[in-house]
Formats: sequence, C-alpha cells, structure tokens
Amino acid sequence: MSQSYNRGLIEDFSRWREFSAGMWAWIFHKFTGWVLVGYLFTHIAVLSTALSGATAYTNTIQALESLLVVRILEVGLLAVAVFHILNGLRLLFVDLGVGLEAQDKSFYASLILTGVIVVASVPTFLSGVSL
Amino acid sequence: MAERYTSFEPGGRRWLWQRLTAAFLVVVLAFHFFLLHFVNHADEVTFALSQARMEQLTYFSLMILFLVTATFHGVNGVYNALVNQGLSGTRKTAVKAILGLASVLLIVQGVRTALAWAGGVPI
Repeated sequence: MSQSYNRGLIEDFSRWREFSAGMWAWIFHKFTGWVLVGYLFTHIAVLSTALSGATAYTNTIQALESLLVVRILEVGLLAVAVFHILNGLRLLFVDLGVGLEAQDKSFYASLILTGVIVVASVPTFLSGVSL
Repeated sequence: MAERYTSFEPGGRRWLWQRLTAAFLVVVLAFHFFLLHFVNHADEVTFALSQARMEQLTYFSLMILFLVTATFHGVNGVYNALVNQGLSGTRKTAVKAILGLASVLLIVQGVRTALAWAGGVPI
C-alpha cells in the first residue's frame, strides 16, 4: 500500500549545508513560484488602471517604468521567471522519465542558463530609464 | 514498496492539470516576456499599443487563456505547497475557499481589463 513519506527531516531548513542539488532545486522552485504568483496579482492590479481610462493607464505605466528601482525589480522578475521556466522544463522531463539520472546536472544548467539570459537582458531592461 | 513523495491526492486530477498548464505556460510566459520587453520596450508602453494588440482575437484569446492557466497554476501551486507543509482539516478547507475566491476575483478583474483595452470581445 502506498503511503505518504515523512519529509520532516529533509525539510528542516536549518540543515541547509547538507542539502543536495535536488533539494536546492525544490527550494528555488517554491521560492520563484511564490514570487511569480504574488507578482501575478500585483500585475493585474496595476494593469487595471486601464479601467480608469487611457490617460490613467499610460501615465501610471510610464511613471513606473521611468523609475530605476522598477527596472531593477523587473530584472529580478526576469531571473525568477526564467529559472522557474527552465527548472519547470527539467521537472516535466523528469516526470516523463527523462533525465532523472542527470537531474543534478540539469539543475546546474538551469542556474547557469538563467544567469546568462538575465545578464544578456540587462541592457534591454534598463533602456530609456531616467536616472 | 514504493512510497509516495507527493502531497497530491492519489488518483486526483490536480497533479495532471498542474503539469498540463506548466507545459502551456512555459511557452506563453516566454512569449509574453519576449514580446513586451524585447519587441516592445518598457519605456514605450501606451494604452493605444496595448489596445492595438488586444483588438486582435488571437492575441485577446491567448491572453485570457494565459490569465486563467497562470492563475490556476499559481494558486494550485500555493495550495499544494501549504498542504505539503502540513495544512489539514478546517484550515485546509478555509484556505481552499479563500484561494478559490481570490482566483475568481483575479480572473474577473483581468478579463474586465482585457475588455477595456479591446472595447468588448474582438469578434
């Protein structure tokens, strides 16, 4: 009979020095997931200014996008989204029975590729911002 | 004997839908970022540009589907993470109801916004 596995010891975060690649992948995926769902609600709230008319929407978005801190947060959002996408692909493949034996390497590849894509995107994400 | 390493209910559909929406979102989220940050740029956003995209039925329907799948995937992910951390009983039922209500409100607000841009369903 199948039964739930008690993961209490594994999920004791004070043991973080002992975590393996798979455990870090699990933590990063949860963390990025929480950030993304939080952002989804914020995103719809900001876009809802369109309900107050064209001028209100354009002024709100342009005022936000003119701030350097918003652009930096957007770079952070990109990092979070890219990692969640790449690690999500890794999880989908593992679910399909592909790449389980190399799941640690595919996690490191997800991290490196996320870093490369984010660094390469910084100039585009900061273009036109007022300092 | 195999032990279950998941908190999804055995035989439930939520695990499958989480994966199906993930496969869709991987493509559409990447497209969303690419279109709105690399093709169009952050400092160029205006109501008219958003309106021009939303007036196309293909784009409008893709964004509505994006909203619904992202809401399901995100909220279902939160619910599952909480169950994974030991949420049970009355609190589990209450959290499920609150997350369900939050999802409905988010989707309604998103659809209202999309309709404001498109000036109605763009058929």
